[in-house]
Amino acid sequence: MFKHLFKLIWNKKKQNFLLMSEILISFLVIFAVFTLMAYYYNNYKKPMGLDYENVWVVNYNNAYATKSTDSLNTYYETLRQTLKAMPQVSELSFCSDNVPFSQNTWQGGMTVKGKKIDHINEFAVEDSYDKTLNLKIIEGRWFNKGDAVAKNKPIVINDELKEEIFGNEPAVGKLIGDDADKNKMRVIGVIQGVKIKGDYLPSGYGQYQRADTGSFHGFGKIMIKVTPDADAAFEGHLYKTLANYMKNSDIEIEHLTNKRTSTNYFSVVPIIVLSIVSCFLIINVALGLFGVLWYNINKRRGEIGLRRAIGATGKSVSGQLVSESMLVATLSLIVGTFFAVQFPLLNVFNLQAGIYITAIILSIIFIYLLVLVCSLYPGKQAAAIYPAVALHEE
Amino acid sequence: MLKNYFKIAIAVLRRRKFFTFISLFGISFTLTILLVLTAFIDKVVGDNYPDRKRDRSLYINRLEQKGKDMSMSGALSYYFLSHYAGSMKTPVKMTIFSGFGGTNTYVNNKKIAVDYKYTDANYWDILEYDFLEGKAFTKQQVDNAEKVAVISEDIKKAYFGDVASVVGKFIEADNVKYRVIGVVKDIPITSYMTYSQIYLPYTVSKTDYKDKGYGGGYSAILLANSSADVQKMHDEYEQLVKRIPITTKGISVMYSHANSYLASYVDTGREDQSGVILVITVLGTFVFLFMLLPTLNLVNINITRIMERSSEIGVRKAFGASSKTLVYQFIVENIILTLLGGIIGIVLAFIAIQILNNANLIPNLVLSVNLMVLFIGLIICLVFGLISGVYPAWRMSKLNVVTALKAQ
Repeated sequence: MFKHLFKLIWNKKKQNFLLMSEILISFLVIFAVFTLMAYYYNNYKKPMGLDYENVWVVNYNNAYATKSTDSLNTYYETLRQTLKAMPQVSELSFCSDNVPFSQNTWQGGMTVKGKKIDHINEFAVEDSYDKTLNLKIIEGRWFNKGDAVAKNKPIVINDELKEEIFGNEPAVGKLIGDDADKNKMRVIGVIQGVKIKGDYLPSGYGQYQRADTGSFHGFGKIMIKVTPDADAAFEGHLYKTLANYMKNSDIEIEHLTNKRTSTNYFSVVPIIVLSIVSCFLIINVALGLFGVLWYNINKRRGEIGLRRAIGATGKSVSGQLVSESMLVATLSLIVGTFFAVQFPLLNVFNLQAGIYITAIILSIIFIYLLVLVCSLYPGKQAAAIYPAVALHEE
Repeated sequence: MLKNYFKIAIAVLRRRKFFTFISLFGISFTLTILLVLTAFIDKVVGDNYPDRKRDRSLYINRLEQKGKDMSMSGALSYYFLSHYAGSMKTPVKMTIFSGFGGTNTYVNNKKIAVDYKYTDANYWDILEYDFLEGKAFTKQQVDNAEKVAVISEDIKKAYFGDVASVVGKFIEADNVKYRVIGVVKDIPITSYMTYSQIYLPYTVSKTDYKDKGYGGGYSAILLANSSADVQKMHDEYEQLVKRIPITTKGISVMYSHANSYLASYVDTGREDQSGVILVITVLGTFVFLFMLLPTLNLVNINITRIMERSSEIGVRKAFGASSKTLVYQFIVENIILTLLGGIIGIVLAFIAIQILNNANLIPNLVLSVNLMVLFIGLIICLVFGLISGVYPAWRMSKLNVVTALKAQ
């Protein structure tokens, strides 16, 4: 049966070649879209890792002109006390520019046991950082005052980095750092990865270091957790307080909820545009397939009539036509899958193999469904051909 | 002859309405997407409000400092631009202005997020903003560090509400009160070099513009006497940058260029990676892949259509029409079909653009189908028609007279 179908397809190889290349390219387009969607979904279902509601971010530029670290510390500690005295402020933390949902990143890399790990997000944080964002501590603890005197610099990492370095083993108490580096840092805690680039992108590797005495030189943001009753009037008041205190600085207050929305917007809009475009492409291809199949069947009326005359049922005629087109689809899917499989094999774009495999399976199902739907009606039409009429035309 | 082909084409189109629909759908939809894309690109990089003198302007907005283990890239300091770029001979005028930064202002317990930008007085001569009321600040006002502001229409509405004139009123931004002296037409944020909502004299800047470091937050536009001088101005700046002493430790080489608008718009911030080439590659790949599917589809359908007419071809061949004439006829037919699809596509693009404009995805970015976009659409249409017409026509022309007639 299959051999026979192959022969039929081979006899019209020129025509089928175009059809096949069209299916092949549609498969690749769909594969790309599904990969992106699977990637986004995979990230989306992971927990956020922080509470962003009621957290405000104050941007300031460090305009307090002093070279002395001591007076700088006093300057900002006074500000901290002023802010903490406000009833609406429940927690606050000065931090480096790479707050969640911002465009800023600080990244570094290290070589551990001969393996290079790149793109580690580095954060300089204070002891109050975890409470401000309500981070989930999986293992160990967050920083406290006692860490200032530790022999090895204490460090908190996120679960993704822990998995990369230690696998399933516990990380707390171990020393990490570049292989060449003698001053290694001691892991004191592991937190759940924080999706700093929004709901749809992964948390990436994260490494948190405790702010030391000179850190205020490099800070430019304050994260403030406010009580739920903090309103615009309070925000205005907070703004005035900050602006009056930091006279030489530009102040801006942003809300993490809004920042999250706009960050998500930048990930979602491209995929919406891509989906709409590929949707129309697929409609286009489907119509084309439908048209070509329909025409082919009309041209083969004689052949079909003959088959009916010698006893084939309508069902088997339509079955033959549908399986013929499915076979054409299979041939191009084999070629397409060959290309698609290269992505997980060669580890292109550093995505998990599972994402690609899901995308390949989904795209194969999609293309089969598409071809099936497009060939059902022409097949049905073929089944309705009366042998007498068809043979008479001939 | 052409008229004859036209008649045949219309007759053929009407005979198989379903196929005609598929072809038209494919062509018009593809064209719609491409037209919207070109309209967007045209608006983002082609719209020359407010810098109408682009043909004789050069833009400096990046300085890359590189050493063995470190590299920095970013905007420049006021000092660098005024001291070095300001010493150039060729430019007739130069303006230095900062990038836009964000701040908040609070009116009646309502928060307004505003973007502000510092400029000098030349800014208003080189860039031709449309003033809805008032005027720009002068050199005198800049030198005196007067707290004056030119604001955009958007912020006027948001801050003052629906009032006729706001010139002379005070606007508070970043806890400082500025006297409004002018209101200008809005600019979309995509024109990031000139976009802002409040324009202030650089002398009132809170951050120190006298800092002698090379990196900072400022950019400059150089204006030449005529477009013929632009190359000379470009070369002068290149020579100048080479001579600037390096003051930062660990830095061995500095790159900075005075570029045309387009080149500086897509600058990647890295010397070894040209933004222009990157953008062209990405866009080119997208357009190619995007057009490949509909084209293949059209080729497929066209083959089917043409083969259907094999008896007609056989008869014409039998009566002495050469393959060339037939190919010519089918290509003409196909181009007519594509142009028809093109007209539908333009209508669809027009509707899509209206919808996009109403959705207001990017504030103040108003897309429009202009002549340039239409022209590009027309070219795309013809290319499309040719590509999808040539192969089927070639296949058809190889058809044997006998085979063609026998199919009857």
